[in-house]
Amino acid sequence: MSSPSDATAHDAHPHEHPSYVQHHFDTAAQQYDTAKLGMWVFIATEILMFGGLFVAYALMKAREPDVFIAGHHYLNKEMGALNTVVLLFSSLTAALAVRSSQLGKRNETSAWLVTTILCACVFLVVKYFEYSHKIEEGLLPGRYFGHPFFDMSAAPAFHEALPSRANMFFGLYFIMTGLHGLHVLIGMGILSWVLLRNIRGEFSAEYFTAVDLGALYWHLVDLVWIYLFPLLYLIG
Amino acid sequence: MSTHDEATLNTNYLTATKGWKSWAFTLDHKRIGLMYLVFVLAAFLAGGIFALLVRTELMSHGPTIVSGPTYNKLFTLHGAIMVFLFIIPSIPASLGNFILPIQLGAKDVAFPKLNLLSFYVYLCGATLTLLSIAHGSVDTGWTFYTPYSLQDPEAATKVLYMTLGVFVLGFSSILTGLNFLVSIHKLRAPGLTWTRLPLFIWGMYATSIMQVLATPVLAITLLMLVFERVFGLGIFDPKLGGDPILFQHFFWFYSHPAVYIMIVPGMAVVSELFATFSRRVIFGYFAVAMSSLGLALVGFIVWAHHMFTSGMSEFANMLFSALTFLVAIPSGVKVFNWTATLYKGSISFAPPMLYALAFLFLFTIGGLTGLFLGTLNTDIHLHDTYFVVAHFHYVMMGGTVIGFIGGLLYWWPKMTGKMYHFGGATVGAWLTFIGFNVTFLSQFVLGSRGMPRRYYDYLPEFESLHRVSTFGAYILASGLFTTAGVLIHSLAKGRAAGRNPWGSVALEWKTQTPPVFQNFEQTPIITKGPYDYHLASDEELVEDLYAPDAAE
Amino acid sequence: MNAHAHHDDGKVHAHIAPALFYWGIFGALIFLTFLTVAVSYVDFGAANTVIAMVVATIKATLVATFFMHLLHDKLFNSIVLVMSFVFLGIFLFLTSEDMSTRNQLDEANGARRYVKNGEIAPSAFPHTMVVAPHAEGHGEGHEKVEGAHH
Repeated sequence: MSSPSDATAHDAHPHEHPSYVQHHFDTAAQQYDTAKLGMWVFIATEILMFGGLFVAYALMKAREPDVFIAGHHYLNKEMGALNTVVLLFSSLTAALAVRSSQLGKRNETSAWLVTTILCACVFLVVKYFEYSHKIEEGLLPGRYFGHPFFDMSAAPAFHEALPSRANMFFGLYFIMTGLHGLHVLIGMGILSWVLLRNIRGEFSAEYFTAVDLGALYWHLVDLVWIYLFPLLYLIG
Repeated sequence: MSTHDEATLNTNYLTATKGWKSWAFTLDHKRIGLMYLVFVLAAFLAGGIFALLVRTELMSHGPTIVSGPTYNKLFTLHGAIMVFLFIIPSIPASLGNFILPIQLGAKDVAFPKLNLLSFYVYLCGATLTLLSIAHGSVDTGWTFYTPYSLQDPEAATKVLYMTLGVFVLGFSSILTGLNFLVSIHKLRAPGLTWTRLPLFIWGMYATSIMQVLATPVLAITLLMLVFERVFGLGIFDPKLGGDPILFQHFFWFYSHPAVYIMIVPGMAVVSELFATFSRRVIFGYFAVAMSSLGLALVGFIVWAHHMFTSGMSEFANMLFSALTFLVAIPSGVKVFNWTATLYKGSISFAPPMLYALAFLFLFTIGGLTGLFLGTLNTDIHLHDTYFVVAHFHYVMMGGTVIGFIGGLLYWWPKMTGKMYHFGGATVGAWLTFIGFNVTFLSQFVLGSRGMPRRYYDYLPEFESLHRVSTFGAYILASGLFTTAGVLIHSLAKGRAAGRNPWGSVALEWKTQTPPVFQNFEQTPIITKGPYDYHLASDEELVEDLYAPDAAE
Repeated sequence: MNAHAHHDDGKVHAHIAPALFYWGIFGALIFLTFLTVAVSYVDFGAANTVIAMVVATIKATLVATFFMHLLHDKLFNSIVLVMSFVFLGIFLFLTSEDMSTRNQLDEANGARRYVKNGEIAPSAFPHTMVVAPHAEGHGEGHEKVEGAHH
């Protein structure tokens, strides 16, 4: 949250402020605790936001269980599991990045951050293949279910075997994974920014707040997927 | 933010830095609070004009000034603007932004950049909402109930603009809540323990909790509504096999806590006013503080009392009706404790106190009529009548808006450095109070006789009461315009205000008027509670209404 | 300041776990992932959801406690996380109280069918949750009103 220009803006202040401590904080520890609490409160808002979708999922599933069971057979379990492993590994590397940063090992931190960002790319590539399969097969949300734009004859006929309300299941699938994918993209942006600042040498064993917060955000992305994967791919 | 030296930091925040950039890119919570205030008041004016148009249309039976479809758009705009653009940000984002860090003895909020971001997000949301007006405006009511918000194919763009606007405004609200929550936890001055926190801060704390926990659900609800509209998901739209009542659950899971996001700050302000103008410690300080948290909690478990006639299950109706009565406990705690604070207090009737007393009176009526509506049997009859309209206006306007104006008059000298004309402000307060009661007491009667809300036309026998209500609205408007005139006049011609015009012992009156850029030249050390009048020295209680060197 | 009184020197003191420890947690997470995938090939009926959610919650707890450092962090941060789940639970629980009990009382009173044509009134649970005192034929919706004697 603090750019160097801000921190140095208050050099004239009488307190003994390290350059990375903002004017309105007394100590580095106070600033760090504040930033952490802010991030956790933000994570709570994210959980409530994704939670709304999970609640819609749960209620719709209780209402029309057949639709969900029929629909989930058309999701690719192997790809989902692969993405789970990728995200869990990226969570590990994010945690290791924080650890290296806490120890003041700048190059190691950069390496772990790069690994994390690469994992995010792998995740999105797998997601891209999943999405393009769904689009080819016409397994699309709502009124676009079953090829409104494309050549109907090219579509496999199997979705005729699906209940008509399966369009709602795929609607939920696309919203939930789409919103999650958006968070992956944002997470990549945040981690890249942290990486840039790390390369510029802004962090040290005393000041690593941004690495910590970026990793927390990334773990949140992982947390959401930990619930999304079984609910959508495994039990429908 | 440019470099600030020690001298700048200890200069009046209004003049410490100059140029439009020093405002547009400021990270100072006081300036952000003032900018919020300007836009929030502009929204109040716009919403108020729509209200006057609605009331004028209803003055006589049959078409009066506008057509039916236009009327539907007018009341939708009145509701949406008042709720999302005015009341929700009013007290927290403007007064709270200004006062909360000063009351904490902090130099700023925890995340100043987020604070500025929240302001610009608010402006973006407001712009999107206004774009929906430019596209012809929506007529769904402020609740966007499905299928109203889905069925009209021509309204697609407008509904999308409006929902996206409210979606964006939600993020502004979340950021403010997050900032306050963290500030209260981490930025309290030395010695400012939880039991020494002013009740305004306790109220802001409860509000922040609700903003943080409820608003994300609104965001996802509106996102799903947009998807329902664009893709035809079939979750909310009954035509596609969805459940419209599910939308109402989603909507009210946010919007009922949002009602408390609106009223709790009002309660927070008047708690300060009662203490200051009675010269007494708040009776039952801890109970009042906890009742704010209690309201925040209870607000999350009573939402479906808005849905008794929606076709929800009978079991859920009974459950939510029973749960709704829990609201009476924290509300009652507050009202009784404020009344007990007045008892044997040394009461002065300065303009802010008039608003606090009006709040007590109006909120009590609003709260008690809520019992009729929370009771399942009577609500079946009163649901969607003017009784409901009157009830929530007594709470929202008689509570929050009156509290907001009271707080504005209370902190105005601190914020602007100018003292306003007491006579004018008193006249404004009385006109507002009388006009308000004339407007809405008549609506209780209308509602109990069966006048449905949101109707363009009505039976001839309702005309006389509607006319009374409309004239009340004009009196109310004159009161508000009087108050606005008094405040604007004070900016131009008012005398410089003193450091502590009300003789309060609270922390925000210990700093200069207007406060210096970093709020306090030295971080204050707190040794007693915010209402410890019995411990105060005589100098502390002196009401220096005007600055000593102020010219006549 | 009272909020962080134990940081006497005002510097940041973070708990630093050994790298191997993080790899261990990762191993546990991978094991649980394979477990939940493997279990999904067996049909436990209604328990499917419960098993999947229990495993997912164990995984989430591991991530939150160790990767996100909650174990050595301020207690209030954990409270924030738990509270977000609690309020989500309130939302889910009370909403499903409505969705799962819709039309039950009407049914008991025999008032669930439209008198004119005997059609079943729309229900939140058209296929699964109909509680019917008159057992025969509530699925199709074109029978005559039978509950009049109630």
